[in-house]
Amino acid sequence: MDAASEYRSLGEPDRSSHLWRYTPWRRVHPTGKIDEIPLFDGPSLKLMSIESEGTPEGVRLVKGASIPSGLPKNDELTSNFLIAASTESQYTLEVDSGFSSENPVILEIDVGENPSVLHLGIEVESRVNIEIVTRIVGASDWFGFMRSGLIGNGSIVNDIVINLANRGTVLRSDLISVGRDAHLRAGTISSGSEKTKADLRFRMGERGGNLRVLGSVMSAEKMHLDHHIEIQHDAPETFSRLSWHSACGGESRTIGTGMLRVAEGSRGADAAQIFHNLLLSPNAEADSIPELEVMENEVVGCGHGTANGPIDEDQLFYLESRGYDSSEAKRALIAAFLNSTLSEMGSETMHNWLVGMLTEELEGLYQKT
Amino acid sequence: MAGSNALLEIKGLHAGIDGNQILKGIDLEIGPGEIHAIMGRNGSGKTTTANVIMGHPEFEVEKGEVILDGEDLLEMEAWERARAGVFLSFQYPQAVPGLQVGNFLRKSVSSIRGEEAAKGSIFREDLSKAMESLDVPRSFLARYVNDGFSGGEKKRFEILQLMLLKPKLAVLDETDSGLDIDGIRTVSEGINAAIRDSDSGALIITHYSRILEHINPDKVHVLMDGIIVSSGGPELATKLEEQGYEWLQQE
Ligand SMILES: Nc1ncnc2c1ncn2[C@@H]1O[C@H](COP(=O)(O)OP(=O)(O)OP(=O)(O)O)[C@@H](O)[C@H]1O
Ligand SMILES: [Mg+2]
Repeated sequence: MDAASEYRSLGEPDRSSHLWRYTPWRRVHPTGKIDEIPLFDGPSLKLMSIESEGTPEGVRLVKGASIPSGLPKNDELTSNFLIAASTESQYTLEVDSGFSSENPVILEIDVGENPSVLHLGIEVESRVNIEIVTRIVGASDWFGFMRSGLIGNGSIVNDIVINLANRGTVLRSDLISVGRDAHLRAGTISSGSEKTKADLRFRMGERGGNLRVLGSVMSAEKMHLDHHIEIQHDAPETFSRLSWHSACGGESRTIGTGMLRVAEGSRGADAAQIFHNLLLSPNAEADSIPELEVMENEVVGCGHGTANGPIDEDQLFYLESRGYDSSEAKRALIAAFLNSTLSEMGSETMHNWLVGMLTEELEGLYQKT
Repeated sequence: MAGSNALLEIKGLHAGIDGNQILKGIDLEIGPGEIHAIMGRNGSGKTTTANVIMGHPEFEVEKGEVILDGEDLLEMEAWERARAGVFLSFQYPQAVPGLQVGNFLRKSVSSIRGEEAAKGSIFREDLSKAMESLDVPRSFLARYVNDGFSGGEKKRFEILQLMLLKPKLAVLDETDSGLDIDGIRTVSEGINAAIRDSDSGALIITHYSRILEHINPDKVHVLMDGIIVSSGGPELATKLEEQGYEWLQQE
C-alpha cells in the first residue's frame, strides 16, 4: 500500500490516545478535512555556512528522499500523511564520510506565503563531525516538515532546528537513527508559528549511541505548541538525555510529552528526561508528561521529572539587588532559562550565533507575554 | 546630633511578613568609613534586617525609617536601592542557571555604576584585579551565576561583586560562614579595601568573632527577637562567642 492509502486506512485518531490528547489531528491537518491530502509546493531551500558563502565540499542537498530501514517506530498517521503530501518536495542532505568542519552549516527553509511541505532525508555517513542548523522562516498558513535518516557510525553531529515561522501551523515529524558510537545532539528552538505539532523520534539501535535532545521553546499570545519526543534504546551501552525548557506567556499553551523506551537487551543503558516549564502569565498553561517503558533490568539509570512554576521571586530579588530593574530582571531570567538548554545544543561559535539571532526574537515575544 | 552626617540611619524599624512581626523596633546608625557588626541567635531577625534594608518585596515595613545618605530607602524598589548604593551579600546567594557570570557582572556594573564603568578595558581591568585578589579563577566568567558553586565559592563571588559595584553601604549576611580560614582572610581584606578610608560603610552579620578580628568593627550590636539589646566594641563579639547569649537574656 502506498503512503496515501495507508494514511486513509487509519481514520481519525482517538483523542484518548496519548499522542493526540492535547492537539487533535483535525486541528493540525492543513484543511481540517482529514480525508484530503493536498499536494503542496516545496519551500525554497538554501544551504550555506555561518562564516562563509557557499557550502563546504562534502555536504550537499540532492533531490529525492528515501526511508531507510532501522528508523524509530513511527507514528503512522503523521508519517504517512507527510510522505504522501511531499511526493513533489523531497530532498536529502548528504554528508560524506570523514567530513569534518568547525564551521556550522545552515539550511534555510523559506516557507514563503503559501502552504508547503518538505520531506528531508538525512544521510550522514560515518566519522563525520558537523553542526547543522535548520532555520524555518516565512509566513505561510501551514508547513509540513518530515525528516528521516541516519547518523553514521562514530559521527558527531549537532543538529538544531529553529522554527521562526511567524504564523500558521507547523507539523513536524523526525525519524532519526543514531549509529554505533555516534553522538547526536538534537536541538529544537521554537518561538514561531501559532500552532506546532511536532513528533520527534530517535532510535539507538547499536552499541555506544549517545543522544541529547534539547528544547528551548517560548510561547506567547494564543500560541499552541505541542512537542512529543520519543527515544528508543535498542542496544547495550546507549546513553540519552532529554531536557526540554518551555517559557509560556500570554494565553499560550505548551505541551511536552516524552516517551522513553528501553528494549530488553539494552544492558547498561543510561537515560533520563526532564521537562521544565516557566509560566510567565496566569493564563498560560503548560503540560508535560514524561513516560518510561523499561524492559531491561540491568540499566545504569532511567529517570524522569518535570518542574513547573512562575519566575522565581528570590532569583528576581537577587538580580534586582544587583541593579537590574524589574523588567530587565524578568527578561534576563527568561533568557537564562531558555539559554540553559540552548547553550548545550552546540559549540561556542554556534551558541554565540544563536544568541545573536534570537535576542531580538525573544524581545519581540516578551512584549506579547 | 550626628544624625545628619550618618551614612545609614535606621529608626524604630518594625517589619514582618504575613502579619507576623519579626523586627520590633531597630535603631542603628552607621557613619561613613565605619563597619558595624550584628550578632544574634538563629531566627533573631538578622537576615530580615538585611532583606528589609535591601527592599525584599516579601517583607512589610509597618513603622520606622531607613535613610541612606539623606535618601529614604523605604520609598524605593530594590533595584533603585541598589543603584542608590546599597549592596547585600546574601546568606544564601541564588543560582541562576543559564546566566553567565561575565554578562551578569557587566550588566550589574553598568546598572549601578554607569555604562562608562562597564566599558571594555576599564571593566576588564577592575575585574581582573578583583578576581586576582579574591583568588577567583578566570574560568568562572564562563560559568553560570552561582550554579554549582561550592559554599565558599559563592561567598567569594559575593565579595567580588562588592568590589566591582563599590556601594555606599555593604550589608554582608554571614559571608564568613562556609569560608575556610584563608577565605576569611582574603574576604576580610576585600571588605577592608572597599570600606576603610572611604565614605562607604558596612554592616556585617556574623556568628563568629574570627572575621571581626580581621575587620575590627567600630561597633558590635546584638539582636534578640527583633530588637538590638546591646551594643559595644569588638570585645562584645569575643564575649558572645565565649559565653553565648544567655547572660544577655537575663539582663
Ligand atoms: N520568608 C519568611 N517567611 C516566614 N517567616 C520568615 C521568613 N523569613 C524569616 N522568617 C522568620 O523570621 C524570623 C527571623 O528570621 P531571620 O532569617 O531574619 O533570622 P536570622 O537571624 O537571619 O537567623 P540565622 O542566624 O539562622 O540566619 C524567624 O523566625 C524566621 O522563621
Ligand atoms: Mg540569617
